[in-house]
Amino acid sequence: MTTFEQRLARLEEIAAELDGEQVDLSRALELFEEGIENLRAASEEVARAGARVQRLVERADGSFELDEPNE
Amino acid sequence: MTPPRRRTTRRAESAEPDLFGLTPATHAPPPPEPPRSYISEFIEQVGYPGESARSAVTVSMLTETARDVIEGAFVPIWVRGEISDFKAHRNGHWYFCLRDRNALVRCVVWNRDQFRIPAAPDNGMQVAAFGRLTVYASRGEMQFTIARIEADGDGLRRKALEITRARLEADGLLALERKRPLPRFPRVIAVVTSPDGAALHDIKAVVRRRAANVHLVVVAAAVQGTSAPEELCFALDQINRWGGADVVIVGRGGGAHEDLWAFNDERVARAVAACGVPTISAVGHEIDISICDLVADYRAPTPSAAAEAATRSQAELRRELAQLSSRMASAARASVRSSADRLRHLARDVAAAGNDHVLSRRTQLETIAGRLHALSPVATLARGYAVARDKDGATLDSIAAFRDRMPFELVVRDGVVPAKVSGPRRGSR
Repeated sequence: MTTFEQRLARLEEIAAELDGEQVDLSRALELFEEGIENLRAASEEVARAGARVQRLVERADGSFELDEPNE
Repeated sequence: MTPPRRRTTRRAESAEPDLFGLTPATHAPPPPEPPRSYISEFIEQVGYPGESARSAVTVSMLTETARDVIEGAFVPIWVRGEISDFKAHRNGHWYFCLRDRNALVRCVVWNRDQFRIPAAPDNGMQVAAFGRLTVYASRGEMQFTIARIEADGDGLRRKALEITRARLEADGLLALERKRPLPRFPRVIAVVTSPDGAALHDIKAVVRRRAANVHLVVVAAAVQGTSAPEELCFALDQINRWGGADVVIVGRGGGAHEDLWAFNDERVARAVAACGVPTISAVGHEIDISICDLVADYRAPTPSAAAEAATRSQAELRRELAQLSSRMASAARASVRSSADRLRHLARDVAAAGNDHVLSRRTQLETIAGRLHALSPVATLARGYAVARDKDGATLDSIAAFRDRMPFELVVRDGVVPAKVSGPRRGSR
């Protein structure tokens, strides 16, 4: 799964490559389309706001689970 | 045989200790038919203990009795004095004297009581020590058994800090090169703190205000008191074993100096240093600097500031995306322009030769440029751009790619819409 951070990093790369000297036109278009797709996904992620708060609980067997805190 | 006259002391009669385990009643004339006990037999034959050479008591009895008297006479108290002759014995106990101009008392701090004292005191330190007075019977000496020590000017805590700091520094744990950058967009933020403390409350408030899309995972630990260092270490260890956090905030809200002390504990500092993901330390208020702060990858002045450092607000993210988008669009336009210019020059150069090949490339270029132009105003794209794709995800960018009644999909800003070719295709050129 692509993280938001990876998407932004990819967008930076795309912008940098497009900025570069003499990019082949079909390559430029390809980059641009990929960029648009990344922008769309990233914007979607930004829109999904809202923090979740949970508690880390260790079970007797050493595995972990996340509990909703009782507030 | 008559009992010796009892010496009167300045102490009230009732408070006078019962030196030899005999009750004053035995001093009274014997009842008409006294019970024949071992003690009365002893007294009859030998006399009262210590009354005569014949009834002399042992040294042990004397010193042990003195110990009982002294222990009974003093409640635990604070005593002020200067430390001298300090010795940390191999057996783990500390021995020293507390003295003033005219007197001294020998002191001991048992190994098991040392955890309450930040560091071993130094000779010459002026301290107040809390303990109880006793007699060390096997040497016949008075001894002050100490449980707590407070040095003037908080000297012991300062000494403890210096020692811990030096040890961490020797191990390279304070080196700036060790500091890891914080992740720019963490999804999961572990928070090691008290689950009902002010720190967690502040962190949650900041995250909500910034509408940050993050997952806070609270790992509960006491942040003050004797169990705090161990609990903090355990929580950090749990985070390592769990492995789900992108960044860790460890800290607590403001409090008295001694309430923040757990964050100066060497074990806690080492646990912070051993954390597998970047750490943010947030202990107390701005002015409080703890050893934890020095070891963590980032020192936040308060828990709220830690939350700010760990998260990006929705507005910040939108700004960043908008910048990237316009940068990409203008770069793409520039790229088209420069290709077109190059081709135009080339075309002019060979125009005389009527080179069809170049002309056809130019047409091709213009087609692509047209498509790019359609794509490039990014604001428009973000609002209403749609891409047609076939079932394999290939972009359908020309009427030639569509067949009659072919199903395809339209990708729009927020999802995918299934579609189908419903009528005859028309060329636009």
